[in-house]
Amino acid sequence: MSVTAQRPAPALPFAKARTTRRRSPRQMRDSFLLTFVAVVLVAGFLSPLLRSLALSFQTPEQISQVNAPLWPASPLTFNYEGRDYPVYKVPINGTTREMALVKKGRTESQFVDPSNASAGLITWQGGWRTLEPALTFSPTFDNYISVWSLLNYPRLLFNTAAIAVIGLIGTVLSCTLVAYGFARFRFPGRGVLFLILISTIFLPAAVTLIPTYTIFVKLGWVGTWLPLLVPTFFANAYDVFLLRQYLLTIPREMDEAAAIDGAGPLRTLISVIVPQAWPVIIAVAIFHLVYSWNDFFGPLIYLSTKPDLQPLAVGLAVFSANRSAQEPGLIQAGTLMTLIVPVLLFLVFQRVFMRGVVITGVEK
Amino acid sequence: MHRTIPAFSAVVVALAVLITACSGGNANSSAPAASGTPQPTGPPVEIKWYCCLGTGDDKTQLPVEAKVVDDFNKSQTHIKLVFDHVAYDGARAAFATRIASGTPPDVVGPLGVGGAEAFRGQWLDLKDLIAKNNVDLSVYGQGAVDFYKVAGQGQIGIPFAVYPSELYFQKDMFDEAGLNYPPQKYGDKYKMPDGTMVDWNYDTFRTIAMKLTVDANNKDATQPGFDPKHIVQYGFEPQRDDLRGMGAYFGAGKLAADDNKTVQIPTGWAYGWKWIYDGMFKDHFIMTNQVYKSTAFNGGGYAFNSGKVAMQENFLWNVCCVTDAGDNWDLGAIPANPTDNKVTAVFNADTFRITKNSQHPDEAFTVLQYLLGPASKTLLNAYSAFPARTADQADFFTGLQGQKTDKGKPVYPAKVDWQIAVDGIQYADNPNFEAWMPAYNKSLDLLTQKLTKWTSTPGLNMDQEISTLKTQLQAVWDKG
Amino acid sequence: MIALRRPRMSRLAWHEARSGLLFLSPWIIGFLAFTLIPVVATLIFTFLNIKLDQEQPLRFVGLDNYLALFGDPQVWDSLLVTLKFAAISLPVAVILPFSVALLLNSRSLRASSLFRVLFFLPYVVPFVAGVLIWAQMLNSDSGWINGLLGLVGIQGPDWLNDPSWVYPGLVIIGVWGIGGGIIVNQAGLKGIPTELYDAARIDGAGWWGQLRHVTLPMMSPVIFYTLVLGVVEVLQYFLVPLVLNQGTGEPGGTTRFYNLYLYQTFFSYQDMSYGATLAWLLFLITLAITGVLFWSARFWVYYAGETSYS
Repeated sequence: MSVTAQRPAPALPFAKARTTRRRSPRQMRDSFLLTFVAVVLVAGFLSPLLRSLALSFQTPEQISQVNAPLWPASPLTFNYEGRDYPVYKVPINGTTREMALVKKGRTESQFVDPSNASAGLITWQGGWRTLEPALTFSPTFDNYISVWSLLNYPRLLFNTAAIAVIGLIGTVLSCTLVAYGFARFRFPGRGVLFLILISTIFLPAAVTLIPTYTIFVKLGWVGTWLPLLVPTFFANAYDVFLLRQYLLTIPREMDEAAAIDGAGPLRTLISVIVPQAWPVIIAVAIFHLVYSWNDFFGPLIYLSTKPDLQPLAVGLAVFSANRSAQEPGLIQAGTLMTLIVPVLLFLVFQRVFMRGVVITGVEK
Repeated sequence: MHRTIPAFSAVVVALAVLITACSGGNANSSAPAASGTPQPTGPPVEIKWYCCLGTGDDKTQLPVEAKVVDDFNKSQTHIKLVFDHVAYDGARAAFATRIASGTPPDVVGPLGVGGAEAFRGQWLDLKDLIAKNNVDLSVYGQGAVDFYKVAGQGQIGIPFAVYPSELYFQKDMFDEAGLNYPPQKYGDKYKMPDGTMVDWNYDTFRTIAMKLTVDANNKDATQPGFDPKHIVQYGFEPQRDDLRGMGAYFGAGKLAADDNKTVQIPTGWAYGWKWIYDGMFKDHFIMTNQVYKSTAFNGGGYAFNSGKVAMQENFLWNVCCVTDAGDNWDLGAIPANPTDNKVTAVFNADTFRITKNSQHPDEAFTVLQYLLGPASKTLLNAYSAFPARTADQADFFTGLQGQKTDKGKPVYPAKVDWQIAVDGIQYADNPNFEAWMPAYNKSLDLLTQKLTKWTSTPGLNMDQEISTLKTQLQAVWDKG
Repeated sequence: MIALRRPRMSRLAWHEARSGLLFLSPWIIGFLAFTLIPVVATLIFTFLNIKLDQEQPLRFVGLDNYLALFGDPQVWDSLLVTLKFAAISLPVAVILPFSVALLLNSRSLRASSLFRVLFFLPYVVPFVAGVLIWAQMLNSDSGWINGLLGLVGIQGPDWLNDPSWVYPGLVIIGVWGIGGGIIVNQAGLKGIPTELYDAARIDGAGWWGQLRHVTLPMMSPVIFYTLVLGVVEVLQYFLVPLVLNQGTGEPGGTTRFYNLYLYQTFFSYQDMSYGATLAWLLFLITLAITGVLFWSARFWVYYAGETSYS
């Protein structure tokens, strides 16, 4: 480690001008390569989501078609004498015609020509399974509609948001205070207490579940949001650890300046530390939001008797619970409908994330 | 801070012991209500109905259950019934947590033998409540009542629903292959395409299934040039939830010998496991585990529902969710084991039970009677369960046939032969494959391991595998 | 400012200590109320014989559970499984988010905020759904990964059923979780003063030199954080195999992770006391490893705002 921190330069009111610099050809080439690599990585990373998206618009019949393409495709059908028959591309008499398969057979099958139905059934020699079906693009919105109504989506969305936001406030407030205590103050037993803090995550949750549940039963909190929300106001090891690490990297010069000006510890926290720690505080907020949004087991245990209070994660579990009839389309639609909100929120938050960095001055 | 810690820790330890004693103990914490009917006055007693350690989770079933709860609450004021629904994936953990913390739910169900055995010893002996409430058990067949009389635990259930097994098959696929449909009466012979009449046993079945297994080039598994890597239609799908059940379709039996300590592998099961293994890796008419899990074949749900399997053996409850298989399927007879010519149509039964440590057993029993009585027809319909009550059995299938989707289409094909399902009851496996065995849950884990291994790995020596299973299971039982 | 005599220092120090503890109070209260009691309770369980059905009366069994622990071959098998998996997954868990954050932070990258959102996206997918989606991708018959390999002529392995490939398969499934790590690393990267890079460039350091002499040392607190949490997480790894194969430990016992065995002991075999004993062994192991990590921190973790922590 050969570089030590230098005195920070005076704060600049705007971001370092990187886009105004003229790009040399070499920089352009680097930029292109790097972007290309990023595109490839992201494509691979996100490809399963593409599949989810496609599946969410398909009916179970479409999904289980032989050689189903990625896009929602249904076989074209033709109604002949009261029943619908699927249309295939049949090579017959030297050309390929689209005909409806009426009677399946192993070595020969019978078709009807949609453009000439009155001519009756045409027998074709060959295996019908080797033929390509004529497909049409037919996405269905049924999955999304089902999720909306079966789950009572608006209600569950509200529950999920409420639980997440309240928990977020509790977490950010309490974890910032506690991390500040660990990072900026000396007191007897600091080392021991920090070790105890970290070690609270060493015990797997399954073990403390039963005693914890019992406590909440005795308090009468089961069937309410309290077991999920109240503990967030008392800090958690992960976020305190993260915040403390970050706070330790903030030099003390401004702290000392504020102290000289007569600011107490709380004042220093609010006006000196927090503005510099903005990125990591936002990170903590995002983490809690995502964690709470997808938290399944806690709400499952405590809210099982109150479907009106449940978050989306618990509601969704109903779709994957039935083992007889897995409906991939429904599950994917539900998943996408659940994650759309945090993603949108992240889009907003991450701008603030960036802006917060700029406001604190480019010394950071 | 330092000074206060020792005193505080003493308090904490005391609290912890207190909680332990309250939750871990076996004492029945509240005495049963005084003899006679429960008090009609006072604040309503809350009874929790816990679901779902068995069926009951499906999105079509939940609204039905909610309405049953609602109707019950409207019909009287003494009891407030609450539906405690935990999705199947978390149901066992949540149930164990509730029991351990001293607040067990009161009524649990519907659940079958397997779900109940996982929590052996947690169920209330209903003998006294049955006597107190003058319940008439003769409306159920004696066999059904005895099914729930377990040594050492008493009468821990009252019959509610039975699910016999039957063969499901797709008529179109038989037509396309030029094959006759399977027999629809037990004892009937089967007519092969060349006109000969043969016994309907697993040898015949294998040939038929191979003819119904087709690859992308339209070749079936009996033809040269068949490509096992590109199969688009499978001939047969066994019931592969439980290794024991898989075997039981080839002969009834149980793993625990009569001394309740020694492992025995029923001969029918060994035959069946080998037959199925060959069906997967030699003759290719049964799909392997990897194919079973792919979305093309229903992603780990029952593959018959993908509409690309010609036949399956399954319980009657599967009827609830087989509608994706199309509208031209029918039911037929389970084949016989060719070595002894016996048919075994494996049996499942569901009911509701009361937990041993429920704090309000009398009220719980009232709820139980409601579920088994006035609400039973609605629930049985929703679970596609065959009533255990003999008098209700005739109407059951009419009810099923009349079900319509919310778009007005009938749920079931017009001419399903339901009778063959009823006929299967007399071939129920006795002893039941889910019968008790030592170290039940640990044993089940081992069996599930073997199931995954045997359905995923080619090239195994099945005789050796079965004998290894016997040794390993014995080791688990010996450890206790 | 004035020459400080001892009593004055200790009063200032006392003020500082009091403020510090005051800021800590939310955690301390919560710890005592919600954490300490359950934790002590589980410790007590290890000395009793609590089972769910409690067929035998509740009694004090002393060290029986601990003795059983040492004689239980499954415990040591499972620990080995966990450690083998950690050898593969821990490096990925630490290096991958760091690398992606570096990429996103690079000035040569166009549209970096778009990429940031895209890399973060899978982190938001609900856990079980994500596992199931990737299980389909890894399916040896119909999964895309083997499909892609097939395009270049490679016969893809049976990821989830082949003992030699199941750990890489599990790591692939876990890759979607790096979104959080990316954010943490990015926050850390943003916190590095740019003058340091300027100084390094003036000294003649190229890209690699800057990485070694500026980025890595300044990022060491964040890397430390990721490493510690990575260790804790891998020691408690069990949910993914539970979702994939209901805890059977397939293929061939390679996914019988220690925490999975613990979970089963609790909820399948319903032996609460033995489960608690297993948990405390895990606790001690985690404590030991983390303790070593913290001790090692003084050699490689650099905090700009504080002397390193002991």
